[in-house]
Amino acid sequence: MTVAAGDRSLLEGIPRPRSVFQRNLNLVRELSITSFKLKYTGSALGYVWSLVKPLMYFGIMYLVFSILLKAGAGTTDFPVQLLVAIVAWTFFTEATSTAMNAIAGNGDLIRKAYFPRWILVVASTTSAMLTFSINTVLVIIVTFALGHLDLTWLSLLAPLYYLELLVLVLGLALLLSSLFVFFRDLGHIWEIVSLVLFYGSAVVFPFELIESHSKKLAELAGLNPIAQIITDLRHVLVQPDKIASMASLIGPLAYVPIGISVAVFILGFTVFHKLTPKFAESL
Amino acid sequence: MSSVVEVSHLRKRFRLPLDKSTTLKYRVTHWRSSSRYRDLVALRDISFDIPSGQFLGIAGPNGCGKSTLLKILCKIYKADSGYARINGEFSAFLELGVGFNPELTARENIFLGGAMLGLTRAQLRNKIDEVFAFAELEDFAEQKLKNFSSGMQVRLAFSVAILAETDLLVMDEVLAVGDASFQEKCFDTFSRYKREGKTIVLVSHDLTALEEYCDRVLLLDRGEIIADGPAAEVSAAYHRRVAEHALAAERDVASQLDRGDPNQWGSRAVEFVSVTLTDGNGESSRRFDTAGPMTLDMRLLAHRDVGDIVCGMAIRRADGLMLAGTNTFLDKVTVSCRSPGQIVSIRYTIDSLPLLAGGYIVQVALEDITGTHTYDHANAAASFHINAMSGHVGVLEMHGRWQVGQDTDVPSSTAVRQTAG
Repeated sequence: MTVAAGDRSLLEGIPRPRSVFQRNLNLVRELSITSFKLKYTGSALGYVWSLVKPLMYFGIMYLVFSILLKAGAGTTDFPVQLLVAIVAWTFFTEATSTAMNAIAGNGDLIRKAYFPRWILVVASTTSAMLTFSINTVLVIIVTFALGHLDLTWLSLLAPLYYLELLVLVLGLALLLSSLFVFFRDLGHIWEIVSLVLFYGSAVVFPFELIESHSKKLAELAGLNPIAQIITDLRHVLVQPDKIASMASLIGPLAYVPIGISVAVFILGFTVFHKLTPKFAESL
Repeated sequence: MSSVVEVSHLRKRFRLPLDKSTTLKYRVTHWRSSSRYRDLVALRDISFDIPSGQFLGIAGPNGCGKSTLLKILCKIYKADSGYARINGEFSAFLELGVGFNPELTARENIFLGGAMLGLTRAQLRNKIDEVFAFAELEDFAEQKLKNFSSGMQVRLAFSVAILAETDLLVMDEVLAVGDASFQEKCFDTFSRYKREGKTIVLVSHDLTALEEYCDRVLLLDRGEIIADGPAAEVSAAYHRRVAEHALAAERDVASQLDRGDPNQWGSRAVEFVSVTLTDGNGESSRRFDTAGPMTLDMRLLAHRDVGDIVCGMAIRRADGLMLAGTNTFLDKVTVSCRSPGQIVSIRYTIDSLPLLAGGYIVQVALEDITGTHTYDHANAAASFHINAMSGHVGVLEMHGRWQVGQDTDVPSSTAVRQTAG
């Protein structure tokens, strides 16, 4: 019928990679790169902001807490401790608050295309990890320049604590992103919870401050995985012999937060899995 | 032959809350009233199989459940009961350009859209020049999508959408996009798919497009399959159904001219009192035959002296396509309304309707002689249906004649050669 069809140069399809894992990984990569890019498009400085912003943030935190409030005056190298904690904390808040909108903010995609929904959550977390990597590189450069990062064999434990943070963040991201579709109040609730966690996790002061105040309070605060991760990161990265690990502060209770992190991940995964079929109809 | 798609006893019901309660506060304060829902049955007991290599069309009026069915096929919605199984890989484009971002360049959007289809960056890199060539956007690769015209966006989106090679393709209403030349390209692509023996599901309410490409058409209405078979048969069933609906609606409504209708406007210094269609026997009718007579009777009421006016009429296909129209000014007929309260009767007679089977709409209008002021205008003053009789296809009856020549009358090429030899 259509005589011209034979002559016209047609676009031939490409066979998709057989491995579903490879496809999903590729989609995670594209989505996270996109959201990272979009954060800086349109601004005059562009990607420079991804370096300038954390440096400014570090500077302000250092000025306020280390110099003005003299937090951690008794401990060694508090500015470095502060940096390590802030990088971890920034990752935590950025990842959880963007994950909140990972499903609800992508209604168009969810209603019109099929792909595993967790990809959106993992992509938003990956995007936060990109920022985290940049910040970590900055911290390493800054602290090396100051000559304060004390790397020992013990520092090899640091990746494990970062892994624990990632497990916790992914669990929360799955939980928050799926619940937020149905309860929009969660956004405000999480802001308040984040504020409580910020001060409860000894980000801007040493954990010993809580311990010196009350042993019981320290035991309670130490159950918070973020407090444990930050304290232990300081222990293994800054000065192992001078900064106490969580285990030495609250004893065997220090293993509880690791359990909590894993439990949060399992809970987040389960809730997300349960709610997934309802996303498309609710958005 | 194995089935690519198996759908068995599919049911889907939506619970629409009367108040959308997504805040905790609402849940807490209105916990008693949690059962306030309205049920909407989208699909009731749908079953069908699609054998490998079939080009299936799904048609039906708005709200018939065709989009819901498609979304269940593509695993976007979950069925209440029954199942829809796809044996093999599928790619769905329920809408063109899903996942595209206006802030990114065309090239970046190809990578993103391709990833949505399951294609990797490395695969796309080899193909990207071809994509731009097909979309006719070679010079715009580094332009941001937001600076594209909607036509350019659609061309890019379609070119990306057809990239993934899968066993099954699911498409929703993609035919209704792009300019004529690009649509031809789309149709060429569909023809190629057909030649390659791909299994395709195409959803559209444009039955004509479905007729051309589909081996089989499913007709849905109110969540049920009401016709399943070759496109032409289903198409005839569909037109019958449209006409039945029109007739049923006609019986329900007392007056043909519903004054609350947004499709009517005008100052109504002169207005239509009635618009009636009559057949050859002078009886009011809504069913006519191809090449048969039809008379349009209009009665006007003047509320004041408006002098000479123009009365116009047009026939449209059910989808709005204007088929024919004329008015008293063009045909040099004078209509005057000089005294208030005067009733004027106007008749337009068509001796031989040049229309084929289908549903049609009559539009009427009254304007002043300059054509700048509208007294009364009704987009759908009446509707009628042409009975399927001749088997001719399309909209218009051609009134043509066939002639077949014999050797003795028309010299054939062999005859010419013989005389030459």
